Amino acid sequence: MTTATVVSKPIPALAEGWSAEKDFKPLSSITSSSQRTIEPVGPHFLAHARRARHKRTFSEDDR
Amino acid sequence: MAETGATSVTPDERCAIGITFGNSYSSIACTVDDNAVVIANEDGDRQIPTILSYVDGEEYTGNQAKAFLVRNANNTVTSFRDFLGQEFKSIDPTHCHAAAHPKDVDGGVSFTIQDNVEGEPSTVSVSEISTRYLRRLITSASDYLGKKVTSAVLTVPTNFSEKQREALIKATTAAGIEVLQLINEPTAAVLAYDARPEAVVEDKTIVVADLGGSRSDVAVVASRGGLYTILATAHDYEFGGASLDKVLMDHFAKEFMKKNKDVDPRENARSLAKLKAESEAAKKALSIGTNASFSVESLAEGIDFQSTINRLRYETIARKVFDGFNRLVEGVIKKAGLDVLDIDEVILSGGTAHTPRIASNFRSIFPATTAIQAPSTNPNAVNPSELLARGAALQASLIQEYETNDIEQSTHPAVTTVPHITNAIGVVSLGDDGEDIFTPVIAPETAVPVRRTVHVATPKEGGDVLVKIVEGNTHIKVTKPEAKPKENGTKDDDEDDSDDDDSEEEEEETREKVWKIGATLGEAAVRGVKKGSKVEVTINVAGDLGVTITSREVGGKGGIRGVVKAP
Ligand SMILES: Nc1ncnc2c1ncn2[C@@H]1O[C@H](COP(=O)(O)OP(=O)(O)OP(=O)(O)O)[C@@H](O)[C@H]1O
Ligand SMILES: [Mg+2]
Repeated sequence: MTTATVVSKPIPALAEGWSAEKDFKPLSSITSSSQRTIEPVGPHFLAHARRARHKRTFSEDDR
Repeated sequence: MAETGATSVTPDERCAIGITFGNSYSSIACTVDDNAVVIANEDGDRQIPTILSYVDGEEYTGNQAKAFLVRNANNTVTSFRDFLGQEFKSIDPTHCHAAAHPKDVDGGVSFTIQDNVEGEPSTVSVSEISTRYLRRLITSASDYLGKKVTSAVLTVPTNFSEKQREALIKATTAAGIEVLQLINEPTAAVLAYDARPEAVVEDKTIVVADLGGSRSDVAVVASRGGLYTILATAHDYEFGGASLDKVLMDHFAKEFMKKNKDVDPRENARSLAKLKAESEAAKKALSIGTNASFSVESLAEGIDFQSTINRLRYETIARKVFDGFNRLVEGVIKKAGLDVLDIDEVILSGGTAHTPRIASNFRSIFPATTAIQAPSTNPNAVNPSELLARGAALQASLIQEYETNDIEQSTHPAVTTVPHITNAIGVVSLGDDGEDIFTPVIAPETAVPVRRTVHVATPKEGGDVLVKIVEGNTHIKVTKPEAKPKENGTKDDDEDDSDDDDSEEEEEETREKVWKIGATLGEAAVRGVKKGSKVEVTINVAGDLGVTITSREVGGKGGIRGVVKAP
């Protein structure tokens, strides 16, 4: 697992009356992306390629 | 990319190195305990001139061959790497002017040289010349390592065509070497930096300025969690180390002509070759010292010549070339749709990158927060002449234990070409005045799938909190200096000279990068957070751009997991 970076500014308190099923509201999908080529170089790429070729997820990779 | 060579070696038989094969210089490198080491050839050189010369049937390479440019130019082949895989009609032979000239043979490029003791000169294709040269490099590496080198990773310019790549593989394979992979030059430079023990994996946007002899290549590279994506590239064949040599050659030729009227050392081939060699040496000396001497025996018509030049003078006469490098760098950033404020680091690569003035010019183009990696601006910078070979050697050591098949499949577009998010994804927190503040968690231009985790602070009193995950993008905010109120405050009637006074003290406008919050992807409630606790937020963007957001109190169990469907 990668170590998490810290955000020092606090997130807001939950507004009165906010509610959602299972406490999560999906709102909008990712709005924009483009197809680009990752350089097939370096140790992190090898990990990416391994996941891609074996159709593994990050958490499966962690185990 | 199925482009590795026909020669296939099993992983346990491999002895792999990194090679950078330039038009001007080449280098070979290996790894020792995971550290990249550039190998010196038998002459003790780590930057080995990419030159072959034939004298009495004997083949010379590197600096020995370079020395023959004075008296054996016709049998000396220089600056040929870029000709590989090219048609004769599309090459630029400029840099072969004072050596063997490229020739059109069946539309391809060849050289006619006397490479045997006697008999007719031979016509040798650029492919064969490259093979011969690469064989010499490999021999040097094998001698150094004490075992036969079998395989290599080679660096190539980002604009090398498929034909050029194939021709390079063919020439290397013909030298008896298995090509494990061709990698892009700027990527090799970034890898060489990232492989240093003190390096940390972080998201940054890097400009690699590779300033060589006959060409200058720049690239903007997004480095995200150790994955590299090239966002834009630009190439220039007008300004390079050779143009700096030319500036000095003209300078010293004119100095010589001040004393020897009507004798122009540029008009005689031998004199020109001597002038060039000594100018290059003076140029290199000016990268370290503030003065360089120039001394050639019998420069022209038997006349010896000695002179000196200081760095200031050099920087003045070479200004046009230096400005060209600035424009190239500014241009590639624009091409990537970015601003200098978006660039976290500039890596200077290539021999010409030793020049202090180039680094200090870059220093002034970029904000103070941009790291400029060059010997003159950072004592810990990696030697720019060694970056590419080191990167290639590191990659070679990473993949040498893989089956050829595995390497081919891993470098296939199905694996490498993937969606990259355009906007950043991050969390919204509260600023000191209660305003919304965006903090990026995943940077723009990050490849998917990706997963990132942050720990965010919560309100002082804890309680129920809102995790709001949004897209964000930046814009450049320009603040003009405030118009200064006139001194004395009185209406200065019709005195028109006030303009001049103002401009003297004119302050520069300030430019800063600010985040703008875009679409909200999802919101989650984390309830009953303890006072002073942090909330851990993990954002996972899948290969199909579907987003999974997990939020929980740090140290807490379970948490709120939500999915935002793929677009
Ligand atoms: N210390 C130095 N100071 C200034 N210039 C240097 C220095 N060392 C090497 N150079 C110059 O760098 C250039 C070679 O750059 P590099 O070694 O990157 O070659 P290259 O990639 O083969 O070049 P190209 O393919 O562009 O012709 C030459 O012009 C050389 O004179
Ligand atoms: Mg180069």
